[in-house]
Amino acid sequence: MNEKAIDISDVMNLPLDTKEQDKAVEENVPSIKEGKLKTYNPKGDNVKRLLGMLKTKLNRQVVGSMVGCVHCGMCTDSCHYALARPDDPTMTPVYKADQIRKIFKKHFDWTGRIVPWWVHAEDPENDEDLNRLKNIVFGTCTACRRCTLNCPMGVDTATLVRLSRSLLTELGIVPEGVFVVSKDQWETGNQMGVSEEDYLDTIEWMEEESQDELEDPTLKIPLDREDCDFMYTVNPREIKYDPRPLGAAAKIFHLAGESWTMPTWGWDMTNFGLFSGDDTLGAFVASNLYEAARKLRARRIVISECGHGYRASRWEGYNWAKNKQDIPSESILVTLIRYINEGRITVDPSKNSLPITFHDSCNLARSGDLTEEPRWLLKHICTDFREMYPNRADNFCCTGGGGALSMVEYKPLRMEVGKVKADQLAATGAKIVCTSCHNCVDGLTDVIKHYKLDMQVVQILELVENALVLPEKQETV
Amino acid sequence: MSEFLRILENEVQIVALSFMGTVYIIRLAWMFHFKAGQEVTMSVGDSKTGVAYSMMNVVMPWAMESARKNWSFYIQFVIFHLGVILGIAATFIIPYWPWLFEITAIVVIFQAVLAAAAVVGVIRFVRRVVSPVMRVISTPDDYFSLVVMTLFFASGVFAVPNTYEVSEMPLVVFFIMTTFFLVYVPFSKISHYLYYPFTRYFLGKTMGHRGVFPRKRGGELPAGLE
Repeated sequence: MNEKAIDISDVMNLPLDTKEQDKAVEENVPSIKEGKLKTYNPKGDNVKRLLGMLKTKLNRQVVGSMVGCVHCGMCTDSCHYALARPDDPTMTPVYKADQIRKIFKKHFDWTGRIVPWWVHAEDPENDEDLNRLKNIVFGTCTACRRCTLNCPMGVDTATLVRLSRSLLTELGIVPEGVFVVSKDQWETGNQMGVSEEDYLDTIEWMEEESQDELEDPTLKIPLDREDCDFMYTVNPREIKYDPRPLGAAAKIFHLAGESWTMPTWGWDMTNFGLFSGDDTLGAFVASNLYEAARKLRARRIVISECGHGYRASRWEGYNWAKNKQDIPSESILVTLIRYINEGRITVDPSKNSLPITFHDSCNLARSGDLTEEPRWLLKHICTDFREMYPNRADNFCCTGGGGALSMVEYKPLRMEVGKVKADQLAATGAKIVCTSCHNCVDGLTDVIKHYKLDMQVVQILELVENALVLPEKQETV
Repeated sequence: MSEFLRILENEVQIVALSFMGTVYIIRLAWMFHFKAGQEVTMSVGDSKTGVAYSMMNVVMPWAMESARKNWSFYIQFVIFHLGVILGIAATFIIPYWPWLFEITAIVVIFQAVLAAAAVVGVIRFVRRVVSPVMRVISTPDDYFSLVVMTLFFASGVFAVPNTYEVSEMPLVVFFIMTTFFLVYVPFSKISHYLYYPFTRYFLGKTMGHRGVFPRKRGGELPAGLE
């Protein structure tokens, strides 16, 4: 492709690693056998296949973004990659989107078909070009959508990046991490491959812990209870690595006298289909969750703190599954506001007295509807809330969005461009950065460690838990 | 006025305009033959409000960081597109309402805006050539469109006095450029104005539905939570 001549980015030439794919093929993994999970075939005519699939994935919105770009360059300063590497044109959103746009132009644009050089219309030549496209759309973009909101034309570059990812995923030309997590989600229904036994053990453990902390044996984490007010869904990270948020939620729900349940299947509200661009995986995972809620006749679905999980479960999942939403769903932030407003829980902000700032998750602020809810809560549960600038839909990505945390090969670049986030964090003077997303917790932790900032990362649930005033004892939990 | 100029200002323009209109209709039909994305979720906000907000974005530079932090670029954008509007207006005023250009104030306003737009065109061209980022993303069509737009503005400065009795040359040049535009524009990036309502509509519809548009500036909770 043309841009080889100006390739100054070290990530562009990272090779395609297929060790995990080969291993999965050898193990005859069911999702591969059934054709759901695609693997790389070096002998397949991958360029031709990609071109064939492109047409099937176009819709009016995507075409609008393909033809609407005027190359004005206004998106450049909105991207943390471009800001951190101002001399590298390949880091700009428009450059990244142009990689798929040039293929589109070659096949769908009149001028591009007749005089391709005039509008830089071009096909990839071989798998090497496709691998380079992989490195661009997976390695140099977190699909945070900041450029989309800063495009005067309304071009949705993040959607074009996801489209590119979806085409490459169909060909198995993906980072190893993306393949592994997708495989786990296909095979086990959750992205961290948590077995049902481990899930049930963790729930039992958290139930006991919460009972001990509240000194209340009646506290339960109900499983598969029917006709509850809501079904609670979590991020597998809360089961596998850090179950504290689940424990905090259980205590809060108990104190609020809530009628709730968790399902034994369909509990993962995260969705790697959002990151890989695989709508089929997206529909499968989201449908598990919706089906569980229907089966349990839950009146609502409550989604724990997770940016992409909220976006996938609340918004995109229904569309991928072509499943008209029949059960209302909400973020746990909304549930918490309701509890405080209705006096179902009491909080004492003086129990969180350190300076706290808030990081808006991209998926909550730019692709969801949650910017004021976390701030409302923070103003009720801490005494020294300091706004980060820019904030809300203008906030910068934590560096871990778009599945970036699973793609270790791009971590050096991710840390380099994390300078934008580090500067933003440092300027607040806060000791604690609060966020409402598990991905952001890890992304921010990496940035804080890399840039040696004196900060710790927490989620809102932890702060609410810390601020809780027990009704009878009037003591902190 | 010579017969050549009369035909150029009238029949030729009508034919070229019809051509452009036809191509645009085909282009829109092509766009609409792609299926529309479906939204099957319960809304938080209002799609129509989101669409209105998205469409009005062009006159709300404070609403977008890229414009908010780059006022000079936004002002250039305004001048350039005012030049486009007045340039197009001139192509109709000269043949159909020439008396308007007998009013000196109107001529001066048109000339000032078109001259300013030509200057902006030059600035934009230099930016595209000098900036490494802009060079990488620019196609021959980007450069060419900018050059011909700038020349169109410049020729408009000399054409709007409509003094064919002194010299027909400025009008001939202006209308030849207009004819060229009408034929070339549908195949170039200049046709972005055709797509603008659609891209902004699609974005506004989705973001309005989800409550992201209109952008929140602080404090307001959704209905039912206040």
